[in-house]
Amino acid sequence: MEPVITVENLVQSAGKKTILNRVSFEVYRGESLGIFGTGDTGKTSLMHILAGVDKFKSGSVEVLGFNIKKTEKFKRKLGLVTQAPSLFNDLKVSENLDFIAVLKGVKKDRIPGIINQFELENYLDRPVKKLDSGVYQRLSTACALLNEPEILIADEPLRSTDIYSTRIIITELKKFIAEGGTCLWSFKSPEFFDLADRIAWLDEGQVNMLTPWRAREKWTSQVQDIYNSSGENNAQ
Amino acid sequence: MRQVLNIANYETRHVFKDIVLFGMVFLIPLAYIAFFSCVYIAGILTDIPLGIVDLDNSKVSREITTTFKNCPKFKTIDSINTYDQLEKAMNNGTVRAGIVVPEDYAQKTSHRQDTKIMAVYDASNLIWGYNIKRYTSQVIGEIRANHTASYLAGQGYTEKEVKNIMSSISGNIEVWYNPTYNYTAFILPALIMMVLHQIGLLSVCLTVTREKENNCWLQYLCSPIARWKIFLGKALPYFIAIFFNYALLTWSTSYFIDLKIIGSTALIVLLGFLYSTFITSAGFFISTKVPNSLQATRYIMLLSIPMFIISGYTWPATHIPGFINFLARLLPFTWMAEGFRLVTLKELGFQYVNHIILILAAAAALSTILALQFKKRQKPREKGLTVNCGPTYPGNK
Amino acid sequence: MLNSYLTIMRREITYMWRDKGLRYILLLVTLLSLFLFWGTYSAQLLKDIPTAVVDLDRSNASREITDKLKTAENLKITARPGSFAELKELIKQGEVVTGVVIPEDYAKDTALGRHTRIYTVIDGSNFIYATNASTAVLSVTRTVSAEVGIQQLTGSGMQYQQAQEAYRGIQIQQEPWFNPTLNYAFFLVLGWVLNVWQQCCTLASCMIIAGETGMCSWLQIKAAGFSRLKLFTSKSVVHVITFMLLILPVYIIANWVFKIPFNDHFWLLTLFTLVFTISLHSIGALASSVARNSLDATRYGMIIALPSFVLSGYTWPLEAMPQALQVFAKVIPQTWFFQGVNYITFKNPGWEFISHYFIVLAALAAVFYTLAAAITAYRY
Repeated sequence: MEPVITVENLVQSAGKKTILNRVSFEVYRGESLGIFGTGDTGKTSLMHILAGVDKFKSGSVEVLGFNIKKTEKFKRKLGLVTQAPSLFNDLKVSENLDFIAVLKGVKKDRIPGIINQFELENYLDRPVKKLDSGVYQRLSTACALLNEPEILIADEPLRSTDIYSTRIIITELKKFIAEGGTCLWSFKSPEFFDLADRIAWLDEGQVNMLTPWRAREKWTSQVQDIYNSSGENNAQ
Repeated sequence: MRQVLNIANYETRHVFKDIVLFGMVFLIPLAYIAFFSCVYIAGILTDIPLGIVDLDNSKVSREITTTFKNCPKFKTIDSINTYDQLEKAMNNGTVRAGIVVPEDYAQKTSHRQDTKIMAVYDASNLIWGYNIKRYTSQVIGEIRANHTASYLAGQGYTEKEVKNIMSSISGNIEVWYNPTYNYTAFILPALIMMVLHQIGLLSVCLTVTREKENNCWLQYLCSPIARWKIFLGKALPYFIAIFFNYALLTWSTSYFIDLKIIGSTALIVLLGFLYSTFITSAGFFISTKVPNSLQATRYIMLLSIPMFIISGYTWPATHIPGFINFLARLLPFTWMAEGFRLVTLKELGFQYVNHIILILAAAAALSTILALQFKKRQKPREKGLTVNCGPTYPGNK
Repeated sequence: MLNSYLTIMRREITYMWRDKGLRYILLLVTLLSLFLFWGTYSAQLLKDIPTAVVDLDRSNASREITDKLKTAENLKITARPGSFAELKELIKQGEVVTGVVIPEDYAKDTALGRHTRIYTVIDGSNFIYATNASTAVLSVTRTVSAEVGIQQLTGSGMQYQQAQEAYRGIQIQQEPWFNPTLNYAFFLVLGWVLNVWQQCCTLASCMIIAGETGMCSWLQIKAAGFSRLKLFTSKSVVHVITFMLLILPVYIIANWVFKIPFNDHFWLLTLFTLVFTISLHSIGALASSVARNSLDATRYGMIIALPSFVLSGYTWPLEAMPQALQVFAKVIPQTWFFQGVNYITFKNPGWEFISHYFIVLAALAAVFYTLAAAITAYRY
């Protein structure tokens, strides 16, 4: 299979703290890669690096054949859904779509279709500040898909979304992959393991590539360990 | 270009939505200058409260005090009659100048004894001090001339002869550029430049900072849009506003309060263009660097006074030590204030300001280059304790 | 009881310290500005005004005039252009501020009692230069014309002493009070530094309410049911003490090292500054109480603090401003402060006079604090 993202010996640190320590992996076209980690394990850092938003300390990252340190061309084929809200607070939903289309340099005739896909028709005149988190996430994903990217990087897209919105987002992600897109998305809840083809398990600056089945196994044993150790403590 | 205009469009819409920002961009410069114009509206100090203590009360002393009384710059305060009263009034600011004619002045002078009239003035505020010194010198000159004339007349010279003798030398003083020593004409142009500089910086410096605070900056970073387009789009509305304000303030001060603004329009426009470019780019540059709007605002606000003082606009550069002059010359404000004065007040042509234009052009170019240097990649943030120095400040979320 | 006050005070100090921007501003800016402004005005007196002499006569008499100009108070001959056109050029270029033209045949004309004209040009574009130059030149031309007059009178047969009496009969001595050397540094350094200082203080005091209610921790304070008055007082005490600690070294250095005269009123000035600090803080609190967030609070505070010096009449006199503006100025504590500082450092206004200033500042503080309290109570 053809790799669309190649990461080699990636090191990232903030101040004295090392966040990613010599991480290497590849992502293949058409796959859904789940990036899993509990708490602050560097998911966002990794995804921001891949999206060409953050600087990194050393190593090499190639996206769609481009060295991301040297060019921005890959950003034309990339979409990013951020974890923290990053849409334009001072604008309405429709204006956000319009403006982000401008930033991405895409034609505006994409917009009505996207609105339809994410069922945003009723919210167009609302300021994004006032949106529920579910709708906000839908809009966020919609904006990321405006430029018909080949790779979608979504940082916890399903965090605190309502069931209805979760369903819409999952459907659209599946559709995106079915149409040949590659998706990297992160989560910290084990219930989403099965939605990914592979899991990149982030822990202490290291990435372990696992199958969803192995990931679930690892999770169960970790949970078990915690219960056991606390049980021993109680016994003493 | 479509992208640039679109960014500019959304930036403008933001300015119109944020009421405080809107005020800063469109109203406050005008309001400040209107306010300063009111402060300095008089332009020339007149009605200076004067206390006259005539302890002699002779014909001679009355003549002298009358000359002072008749001088339109002074206003005599009649309630002051003794030296103690004068001293007290000087101390509490009721009068700013005083004339003391000592006892027996007329008698002593006629006997050629040593005696003197004192003209005292308040030098604790040198605006009073310098002005009164000049006015008093003029009045004293008049008094002496009167004395000479009457003395010669007493010696039997005819009026024509007296006039001939006295006018054998005329010492004309011609004051160019600001013949009335008008303080407004002197100070207001610099204040206009200061207000444009400060309010301009304060508004532009929020353009990227704001996006960073709201995390929206990520949207720019993850888009394949060139840096110069972001810069141009975001800076364009501010540049237009600053240049518009420059034109508005220049025109309105000249129209409403008769500020002397003459000289070549092309030069005025050129100076304004370069200055506005510098302010916009510098503001953008600052906004890419500072952590949040609060900190940016604080630092920029504190700039005004030091900038004004060291510029050599009031206290002349010839009397300022070299290293401070060096510092001042690094600031475009220094050059702009001087250049504007040369063009509008002194009505000088291109050959006198070409070096200033060159320097301002360099400053504009340099600041634009610097503004374009911002990185489309963020540094990962260390999560330390950053009180009000991180991407937030109290109340912005 | 006292303990809780102290705890809040300690926390406020930590808060101000950890706000790095604010810390640097408070610690450095005021003191730095003292050195910068003192440096700028270190010449202190406006002597050596660059002067050009155009001597078209080149006679002994004209050289005498040049000598007089040389020794004249405040003038310094820096150029001797050969023609009026050259002088004009020098003034345009700003090389000289004033130029004196001695006409051709000056010596001959004066000797023959013919009318002659000494022509002086002053560049009026800088007010400070222009006023001083004109006074200086005026005194020289007057002396010269008196001497020529005396010469003529004695030439026409009058006794020298009589002739002198005609011209020098009246002696009026000009005497600047309070600042006898017209020292510009004494006049402005302290004023400007205090202006910078009050701006720094405004920046800090604008945080007092908005800096607290704008943080999530405000909920903790609300939930704890902690007395707001206690909170506010403790914080304010820290602010006022900090502001005073910032200005005291400035006063000490200004007075003892730079010898800026305080007229032996060091302690009175300090006390006066304390009262002003409180009233300045009250304005900050008011700005802070109406603002949406700390940024706006800072902006509102600075809208008052920035132009207050201009309005205070410390430079351009209050009396020369329009009536309405004078009334407005009197609502602003800075006006009273800067006026008061001028009186205290230069003059001997007497307690009766200056106590008035103390009372007004205290009253303004009371009004602003009350307003701030009312608005805060209403909003939060």
